[in-house]
Amino acid sequence: MTYPRIIDDGSVWIVIMPPVIWAGHFLAAYWIAAVWCARGMGVLAPAAWAILALTLIALAAIGWIARIATVRYEGLLRHEASIADDRERSRERFLGHVALLLCALNAVAVIFTAAPSLVFGQC
Amino acid sequence: MRSPGTRTWCGPRLLRLAPLPVLCGCEGRHSWLAGAGAEARAIESLFWPFLIGSAIVWTAVMAFAVFAYRSAASDKGERVGRAVILWGGAVVPTIVVAMLLLTGLLTLRALSARSPALTVQVDGEQWWWRVAYRVPGQAEVVTANEIRLPRGETAELLLTSDDVIHSLWAPALGGKMDMVPGRTNRLTLTPLTIGSWGGLCAEYCGAAHAQMRFEVVVTEPEAFRDWLADEAMPAAPEALSEGGGLDAFLDAGCGACHTIRGTEADGPVGPDLTHVGGRGRIGAGLVPLTAANLSRWISHTDDVKPGVRMPAYPDLAPEALDRLVAFLMALK
Ligand code: HEC
Ligand SMILES: [Cu+2]
Repeated sequence: MTYPRIIDDGSVWIVIMPPVIWAGHFLAAYWIAAVWCARGMGVLAPAAWAILALTLIALAAIGWIARIATVRYEGLLRHEASIADDRERSRERFLGHVALLLCALNAVAVIFTAAPSLVFGQC
Repeated sequence: MRSPGTRTWCGPRLLRLAPLPVLCGCEGRHSWLAGAGAEARAIESLFWPFLIGSAIVWTAVMAFAVFAYRSAASDKGERVGRAVILWGGAVVPTIVVAMLLLTGLLTLRALSARSPALTVQVDGEQWWWRVAYRVPGQAEVVTANEIRLPRGETAELLLTSDDVIHSLWAPALGGKMDMVPGRTNRLTLTPLTIGSWGGLCAEYCGAAHAQMRFEVVVTEPEAFRDWLADEAMPAAPEALSEGGGLDAFLDAGCGACHTIRGTEADGPVGPDLTHVGGRGRIGAGLVPLTAANLSRWISHTDDVKPGVRMPAYPDLAPEALDRLVAFLMALK
């Protein structure tokens, strides 16, 4: 009997984490801004700093996963080697590839989410 | 599948249809391309570059798709194709979207940074608009369904609602913002062109939503200040003294819902009628203010505006109705 692999090599967690980080960042950024503004604090700067710090943490986490994904994929832009075979190695490379793409997508999404708080000074 | 017949048919047909959406709705008092306000112009100056840019991108992508579809597979093509996907499909779109986001955010910031010379509270009701001018050191001036603004000055509209979500939209002036119960939303408008501009509710709010309209009347600042001073006055004495009109009004019970300042009618439910005779339209922008329309409004309210929250008075004696209408018309 084989069990789903959660954390060891070949597991899917590196694929799941980038969107989870984006979702957490999205929620937290909105919470911070909403609670701050609901309390009648007109100036956005302190909330914006908090969101900026959160953004850097989220980007660092995504960067860390991207590193792991690069190792699994064995590179950044390799398209000559196959990743679609029904072999253990191919599967791992495929997951690394997918995770890497998701890292790029979610890093952009996290930056876009944070952008308004850096542009506006008022609630 | 690739028969030449389909291709020659599709091309010209699409070309003929393409300009249609662009041609519709570019004129008139409800057009957001009328450029009657600074905010509308700011948005418009984003719109055209965005539209042209999108058209170029769309054409390029379509041309490229046709080219890719027609070219034969090859090893070199495979490499080039992957590079195109990486740059054309990911990197360049990300940069373009980031630029769009940034210009959008900066425009929004510029719009909300104007400091207002005038504060007007607009309260959305089912299905009309309560309007209150707030001038420092002066009592609030309450009116309804018509928002007067001075040309060239930035007005801050504080938007509220007591019942359901409404949305205030005067397309020609550029603003559109929701009125959410329990919140005060802020919208700034800087009208630049004298005129009477149409406005409407842009958020479905119940039966008469489509008939929930208003007028934005833009005048020169001096004329606006004269008007505001008049509007702050109680009802015209001539109207009150005239042939039993006020009595007819009070006898019919209109005062339970409507306020006429300077009389005992102080109902808070419906629009303030102190200067209703000076407004251009009745029924929340629905029909022009004429004696005939007013008479029909009072006697067959629900026919004029189905779903309306004012009872009809079909049984008023004709003389009472005439006196009532003359009285309301005299409330300038
Ligand atoms: C139950 C409350 C109620 C009573 C009683 C009532 N009205 Fe109204 N009236 C309203 C409401 C609410 C509106 C707004 C309707 C709309 O536009 O959706 C209104 C609108 C109006 C308008 C149009 C105002 C505008 O600027 O659009 C006039 C004029 C008017 N009423 C006159 C009267 C007269 C005259 C009577 C008495 C014969 C009367 N009303 C009785 C609630 C009432
Ligand atoms: Cu509505």
